[in-house]
Amino acid sequence: VRFLLNTLISGLLIALTAGCARDGAAGPAPASSREITYWAAPNTQEIELAETLVVAWNQLHPEIHVRMQPIPVSQSTEEVLLAAIAGHTTPDVCSNIWPGALHDYMQSGGLIALDRFSDFDSVALSRTPRELLETFRTGDSHFYQLPWKTNPVMMFYNERLFREAGVDSIPRTYSEYFAAAEKITRDIDGDGQTDVWMGERVIRPIWWQRLFDFYPFYIGASNGSMLFRKDEVAFDNQAAVDVFSFFRECYARRFYPRTFFQGGDPFNLEKKATDFAGPWQVSQIQKFAPQIKFGVVPLPVPDSHTGPVYTSGDYKNIAIFSTTRHSEEAWEFVKFLVSPRHDLLLLRIANQIPVRGDLLTNPIFSEYFAKNPIMASFAREAPYTRGMDAAPDLREIFDAISQEYESCAIYGRKSPAEAIRNAASRARMIAEWNR
Amino acid sequence: VTGLHFFRRLRPHGRSGYWFILPYCIFFLAFVAYPLVFSFILMFHRWNIVSPMEWVGLKNFLRLFSDPLFYRSLRNTLLFLAIHIPLQAAVALGFSLLLHSRVRFRGVFRALYFFPVVVSGVVVTILWQQLYSFDYGILNRLLTATGLPRIPWLVDPDFSMPSIAVMATWKNVGIYIVLFLVGLQNIPRELYEASEIDGAGRRKQFLHITLPMLNPTIMVIIVLSTIGGFSLFIEPYVLTGGGPMQSTLSGMLYIYNQAFYFNHMGYAAALGFVFALIILAVVLIQRKVIERDRTA
Repeated sequence: VRFLLNTLISGLLIALTAGCARDGAAGPAPASSREITYWAAPNTQEIELAETLVVAWNQLHPEIHVRMQPIPVSQSTEEVLLAAIAGHTTPDVCSNIWPGALHDYMQSGGLIALDRFSDFDSVALSRTPRELLETFRTGDSHFYQLPWKTNPVMMFYNERLFREAGVDSIPRTYSEYFAAAEKITRDIDGDGQTDVWMGERVIRPIWWQRLFDFYPFYIGASNGSMLFRKDEVAFDNQAAVDVFSFFRECYARRFYPRTFFQGGDPFNLEKKATDFAGPWQVSQIQKFAPQIKFGVVPLPVPDSHTGPVYTSGDYKNIAIFSTTRHSEEAWEFVKFLVSPRHDLLLLRIANQIPVRGDLLTNPIFSEYFAKNPIMASFAREAPYTRGMDAAPDLREIFDAISQEYESCAIYGRKSPAEAIRNAASRARMIAEWNR
Repeated sequence: VTGLHFFRRLRPHGRSGYWFILPYCIFFLAFVAYPLVFSFILMFHRWNIVSPMEWVGLKNFLRLFSDPLFYRSLRNTLLFLAIHIPLQAAVALGFSLLLHSRVRFRGVFRALYFFPVVVSGVVVTILWQQLYSFDYGILNRLLTATGLPRIPWLVDPDFSMPSIAVMATWKNVGIYIVLFLVGLQNIPRELYEASEIDGAGRRKQFLHITLPMLNPTIMVIIVLSTIGGFSLFIEPYVLTGGGPMQSTLSGMLYIYNQAFYFNHMGYAAALGFVFALIILAVVLIQRKVIERDRTA
């Protein structure tokens, strides 16, 4: 037995020594050749953008070398970043920070506060209006993320399907949406199957699906409210009930199918007339269904709504991780990423909206928007976007909302008021459990 | 006698035995013993992988017993077992009786029934998703073609778990057909010959010879199906995500969600421990029943 133990211990020691040796070999570069690792979102357009930006940086700053790497593929960026924080393998800079996961990163001490840099305010405010910037301040009064890009969730509509159904005006309110849906949802070939639906949402109760239906609609219906107020759950109100009622009616009146679609995006296949998505969808439609003529408008709101229509911004921001050995250089690189010229590249290459207050007034962007009127619609909506509460357990709370949404909206088994009450109650229970 | 002396006193071929079991010992320590011990420790902590573990005592268990979703997932799992086990046993027995008789192409049928077992669970699940689709699925197209109403296989809380149980039965029945066939082949032919002389018909032979002689096999199948049923995961994960209305949220899926969606590792460990106790209790009860039957 002792022999076995000795063998095991020796084996483990050899393995550990080998591991340490490998660690040392792959350690940080000497100070003379400062290197910054930059993780970009792993989609084709953003990889192309990141490569362009990094080449430009490395030419201008040979003394600070930036190495770009797409975020390792996984189910989500958040999973990868959490695993990287746990393993102390985070990059210096990442530009795909979802504000909803910020609490987890902060709690683990994974991020550095960006307002420790003396010029943070001037850099951030030269780009982002103060009111919007303040929504990214965390409970400890610091900024751990620099707002970078926003993807306002808006309503896409298929012009041909609207025209063929005899719908001339694009719906702005819930009633107008239902009226249009009455005409658009139909069985064209008479085989008893609906061929065109007004809309469609994934019916599986996946928490992040609510980021593209309930949440932006709730922000719109509530004139820009978020789920929490002063760290307390605050979505059990009439606006949330209205949103559940809207989707419940969409399913009850069979404007939306209770099914799993196969074979591709039903909007691209022209099986549904409206979709709720951000500007990333523009390039997807142009790539996979270039024949489709489509328009983009703000999301429908309750009939009594007045004023601008707010929506979810689906922000992705930039952060510097606490494992960095070159925080000053990393901050310089972050400033480089958010310069007006590079924001123009963000628009041109990645089709995404920089979080800038001067998008429609700065002459540097005017030519782009003149050529891309659809993107101008998103730019006009950008000032009316909201991000995500930096609250713990946000995913679980969205899961609770998702479960109630499913019971109420898709299957009609609960009234909207009861479903919202249950979701808020479970959200408070989750907050209490994890406190 | 120290371990080293003991090892030296062994004859050479005795020593080599230890070398042969060494890889498994390492595997066991790394992938069985360590995770078990670690999950036992986790149950009393709060841990989201990135932050340091925080001792919370029995808080995870207090949460568990006040969590409606725990009870829901347990109820769903038991419902799945209640449908799946009898269905699986009956279908497997029926097909094995057919295959045991002298039918043509018996070997081909045996291979065909076993085919779903070797296909990846995810692939099978995606195929069944196509079959079960409410608006576009083949099953509903067949129903509407014959003038029958469509069935909301996966999109109605009352149908979803039975639909999954049917799919799981189709996927796994091949293994149980093989087990039953082995059981049938082990029944002495003399028993049937003697019963024929005594005037027993096919029905009486089945009830008084085949079924009692297959009793140990049936019990093995029930135990295996129970353990397999408690680990129901791929089917609801791929097909329904636990919906509609949490009607297919199995115990394993809930543990997975808590651990890997919400990073509640401590709570997930507590859930796993409680589910393990439940499986243990169910299997012990089944074993008692088997032993009682054997002694009777």
